[in-house]
Amino acid sequence: MSLTDLIYAGSNAVAGLTEGAVNDAIAKYGEGHSVGYPDTAYFLPIIYAATGVKIKTLGDLPAAVGILKSLITNKEDLGEALNAGLATAVGAEIIEAIRYLDGDPYANDSGIGFVADPIIRSLGVPLVTGDIPGIAVLLGESSDPAALAAIVKDYQEKGLLTFMVGNIIEQALEAGVKMGLDYRVIPLGHEVTSVIHVVSVAIRAALIFGGIEPGKLPEFLTYTKERVPAFVNTFGELNEVIVSVGAGAIALGFPVIADVPVPEVPGALMTQADHAKTVEFSLEARDIKIKVTKIDVPVSVASAFEGERVRKDTMFAEFGGNKTKCWELVKEAELSEVEDHKITVVGPEIDDAQFEGVDVVRLPLGILVEVAGKSMQKDFESVLERRIHYFTNYIDGAMHVGQRNIAWIRLTKEAFEKGFRLKHIGEVLYAKMRADFDNVVDKCQVTLYTNLADVERLEEEMVKPIYAERDERMGALTDESVETFYTCTLCQSFAPSHVCVVTPERLGLCGAVSWLDSKATKELDPAGPSQPIEKGEAVDEKIGIWESVNKTVAAASQGAVERVTLYSILEDPMTSCGCFECICGIMPEANGVVIVNREFSEISPVGMTFGELASMTGGGVQTPGFMGHGRHFIGSKKFMSAEGGLTRIVWMPKELKDDVAERLNKAAFELTGIENFVDMVCDETIATDSEAVLEFLESKGHPALAMDPIM
Amino acid sequence: MSNEILNYDKVAEESLAKAQRDGAETMWDRRAAQKTQCGFGEAGVCCRICAMGPCRVSPVPGKGAERGICGANADTIVARNFARMVAAGTSAHSDHARDIVHAMHHAKAEGPFKIRDEAKLRRIAAEWEIEDAATKETYALAHQMAEIALEEFGKPFGTQRFLKRAPQARQDIWAREDIAPRAIDQEVVTLLHSTHMGCAADYESIFRRGMRTGMADGWGGSMIGTEFSDILYGTPTARASSSNLGVIDAEMVNILIHGHDPNLAEMVVLAAQNPEMVEMAKAKGAKGINIVGMCCTGNEMTMRHGIKIAGNFYQQEMCIITGAIEAVVVDVQCIFPALPELAKTYHTRFISTSQKAKIAGDMYIEFSEATGLDNAAEIVKLAVENFPNRDAAKVEIPDIKQDTMVGYSVETIIQHLDAVVNSQLEDGLGTVKPLTDVIYAGVIRGAAGVVGCNNPKQQHDYAHITVMEELIKRDVICVVTGCAAQAAAKAGLLTLEAKEKCGRGLLEVCERVNIPPVLHMGSCVDISRILHLVNLCADLKGIDPALLPVVGIAPEWMSEKAVAIANYVVGSGINTYLGVIPQVLGSPNFTKLMTEDVQEFIGAHFVFEKDPIVMVDKIMEDLEAKRVGLGI
Repeated sequence: MSLTDLIYAGSNAVAGLTEGAVNDAIAKYGEGHSVGYPDTAYFLPIIYAATGVKIKTLGDLPAAVGILKSLITNKEDLGEALNAGLATAVGAEIIEAIRYLDGDPYANDSGIGFVADPIIRSLGVPLVTGDIPGIAVLLGESSDPAALAAIVKDYQEKGLLTFMVGNIIEQALEAGVKMGLDYRVIPLGHEVTSVIHVVSVAIRAALIFGGIEPGKLPEFLTYTKERVPAFVNTFGELNEVIVSVGAGAIALGFPVIADVPVPEVPGALMTQADHAKTVEFSLEARDIKIKVTKIDVPVSVASAFEGERVRKDTMFAEFGGNKTKCWELVKEAELSEVEDHKITVVGPEIDDAQFEGVDVVRLPLGILVEVAGKSMQKDFESVLERRIHYFTNYIDGAMHVGQRNIAWIRLTKEAFEKGFRLKHIGEVLYAKMRADFDNVVDKCQVTLYTNLADVERLEEEMVKPIYAERDERMGALTDESVETFYTCTLCQSFAPSHVCVVTPERLGLCGAVSWLDSKATKELDPAGPSQPIEKGEAVDEKIGIWESVNKTVAAASQGAVERVTLYSILEDPMTSCGCFECICGIMPEANGVVIVNREFSEISPVGMTFGELASMTGGGVQTPGFMGHGRHFIGSKKFMSAEGGLTRIVWMPKELKDDVAERLNKAAFELTGIENFVDMVCDETIATDSEAVLEFLESKGHPALAMDPIM
Repeated sequence: MSNEILNYDKVAEESLAKAQRDGAETMWDRRAAQKTQCGFGEAGVCCRICAMGPCRVSPVPGKGAERGICGANADTIVARNFARMVAAGTSAHSDHARDIVHAMHHAKAEGPFKIRDEAKLRRIAAEWEIEDAATKETYALAHQMAEIALEEFGKPFGTQRFLKRAPQARQDIWAREDIAPRAIDQEVVTLLHSTHMGCAADYESIFRRGMRTGMADGWGGSMIGTEFSDILYGTPTARASSSNLGVIDAEMVNILIHGHDPNLAEMVVLAAQNPEMVEMAKAKGAKGINIVGMCCTGNEMTMRHGIKIAGNFYQQEMCIITGAIEAVVVDVQCIFPALPELAKTYHTRFISTSQKAKIAGDMYIEFSEATGLDNAAEIVKLAVENFPNRDAAKVEIPDIKQDTMVGYSVETIIQHLDAVVNSQLEDGLGTVKPLTDVIYAGVIRGAAGVVGCNNPKQQHDYAHITVMEELIKRDVICVVTGCAAQAAAKAGLLTLEAKEKCGRGLLEVCERVNIPPVLHMGSCVDISRILHLVNLCADLKGIDPALLPVVGIAPEWMSEKAVAIANYVVGSGINTYLGVIPQVLGSPNFTKLMTEDVQEFIGAHFVFEKDPIVMVDKIMEDLEAKRVGLGI
């Protein structure tokens, strides 16, 4: 059978199944029964993207099936055959959605099924920074489970995000592959149709970050081809349905690499029977370049392990966490004072004889990273220091929480047994500092102190004074006190018309890029995403309008956005890429705003979830009344100061409220004299429905109620 | 009628209007003066082989005279006339090749003729099983190869060396049907003998002998011409150029090189680069020397040096009509005898250079391999000195030119294909596998070689461009040579941007391989490159090329060379579509032989179709049938 014949056979089969499933579902539940996926603002996302049609009830589906069937022309033509592949994607999306009618079909499956909007938003930053260099979609059942596991682990070590479909999930689990979102290996499900959940991720990336208008299918295909670095590996024999799914992948621009003979199309559909070569072959096929930092430690070090938790039962050693002291410091030094690649442990190692037979090794720890370089600046110290958190977490078998002198590190028994020691933390920090900051760090040495006396003495004499000095500098860093703001266009690889303006008091909306980060980024990569904006004279400093900012934004967004008001949510608010930590929306009846963070999955008082609120903006579009921002911005005196400032906040999820309470209270007090402002802000433990929220606000005498009407 | 027929071309109208104002005569005037062309000649039934004639038999069976004085019927007369066109066409390509080989025999390290692609020299020497092909001193090897190549024209025994490039299945058919060509001169001579008065009177036998002679062109003369030109002047690589009359520069000394043989043109380019010449041009008030090419000399020069393409066959007069050409330098083939007279309307000097194509009316400077560079220098100097004679009032250059990509030799195509081969594949480089892969997978439906001339029987360039545009739209990749290639250049089809005119599959291929959908493979002798490419694909799959979904097309052909080409393309197992119907319809038997019966013993046939859209429909059916046959 020719390739196109195979594709059509698969597409026709799926079309038949889809039609049957839709008819059965309507017979069982009736046309008015609602259908959809959990926690998404995009209905059936692929159908929505391709046609602009919002599928809400089962009664909407027969028309979609009609469109699907019209895509299958059975004509001998690649374009038509790829359309048939897309029809299979649409069919799979419908079939999977129908499976959700009876509750979560993945409740008892090792797969997770549908990937919710907030997870996709959380992947935005690592994807644009290249921290996740690519997306591997693995499908089938391998004839060689050990080779399969090696492939998955290789992707994991290279930081790729791997989605798995079929029996390879169990095969990989049995071979010891660590799985889950935290490990960047995501089992989707066993039915071939569950592969649609990763297609849905790619399509929603185009909706969320790309801001592409639903219904413009060719633009979606261009987006996924150019901006979503995904590819497919199939394992085992292929049937027509898999080939048809593969055609859909190729239509999206994702090459398919099989381990059995296929009709080859160089660059799109290929065979690589040698599993030892699958990884390199696939990366080359999708043109994914891996930045390798070879680190001489006995365990893997990869961003894929960043989310790993170390629980009590697997823990070997612990530092900090209220049990012992633990601090970390990055300090600039003279070039002559630093001996490059000198790693020193002062005090006992974790394999010291004194720990023989001890249940958990607990030691005080002071991590001192001294860096020197001609372009190094004191302001970069804290930027580099924050990276200790990430670099330590990249270690397979290490967990890092907190920062400064509330740092908390755990190591696993497994890592210890592989030979991992404290000095290896030093090795990892050294290697990553040199690799990631090569423009400013010419030399680096790491000292780890484990004697209590040293740790305490240095904390008082060296560490705390430096923290205090930095805090003072940070406190004095306001939008007024600097002459330069920065752009951040990092996300333009995903959201081509979005540009962040980063100021000392307004960090990037992803929460990952502060003004100091931008300043350092400019130094590290002079032509890179952070470019200075010389402020010049303000048009209106109070609400945040600068001619220089408008000009720069217009240029950096290729003309898509011409005006930005930095401190307003109503007048030309800053755009969003889509990967913001929080979304702020107006609650008119309370004369204020609610803020919802990405992690909060329930409905908010404005009647929308985070995902639904988030879908109102993003993709570089200005939507007055909605604004994405970082958590840190909530404690800023510039927070929507054009509309009266942060005392407009009337509701936040409890977790977010607690997280920002200290800074928010301080800022509110300094601005308005109100003490403990946070106590006046409602949360879901108090009320979520509009009336009850208002009642609460009135009982607390919330200042927003007495302010000028917000709209 | 003339202006009507030129609708398609953007520059023709103003150019012809200018000719009228200037009192210059063009092919259109002469075409009109011809009135209705001879119906007997058109049908191929006029015999003037012996002096008893001319005899003409009725082109309609059963009506009027059915036999000539000697008794030859329409079948015999048509077959003989057709065969003699093959002999002439084969002679033209092969004699061109012989000159190239002679130049190689004159090659020496200090030039001007020297070995520029030594690797290719050694590769072909190895292919021809020369001892020490890898190690022998370059020029000793070159001279030895030149002598062996010259033997291919007159060796007493054996068949053409390059035939071994074909898959065994095809070679077996040639042996079975006795169409494997022997020495080139022998095939021409024996065919002329066969078609002498009172010899062959079996139309199928004449056809077969004609095909064998055509094969001596494709696998002999043309292939030698191509490969030895590459060794001598460099194998073409992808490069940018520009095309159409707008490349003539009003502020420069313009020299038009026209004809087919690169020997002279290479020397002219070399001579024009001489700083002394450039200085002289400046002293005469020009900004420099601008060499522009036409027909296949233009193709040869553009694909090796990026020399701009002034136009194709039917534009040779328009070029002079711009009033801005200082010298037209011609070598051989396709040169209108009308040019010297036309040149006199302007200041333009017309210089013919070959004994084989001495054209009366202006100048003759004989070019020889021994004195090549001196001859060229004389010509360039003459052009430069002619610059002050230009009449500014008569200068009018159409402001139309089109960027273009040229130079896709087989080697360059393979090099581009290599870019999509995953480096994890062992032994994956240096083959046409990616091309056969996309054909077999159906990403592209097939491939077409679109070649040939211009002919006033077709709206100029319209048939070429329509066929190409329709084919790429339907995911058929095109390779082009000759005046068809120049038509494609002018229409913007030889650009990476032309991918937007393609079907989805070919678009993908163009993007991934980074090539235009229509690939310029050179001059008309370079159809041998197309032949080579098809045979590499067939060989990779271990099948007869006749099974592959590929076709040959000559939408606007006119020359005897085209008849020879069509014969060797069909002989090589590739169905060949002719947009101008050859002069054979006077014999229904011979017509049926060409369009049907030959399929049975050669595995390919001719298709006559004047309407380019209908032709494309037929081609698509043909390609799809081939695909079904292969089970792909």
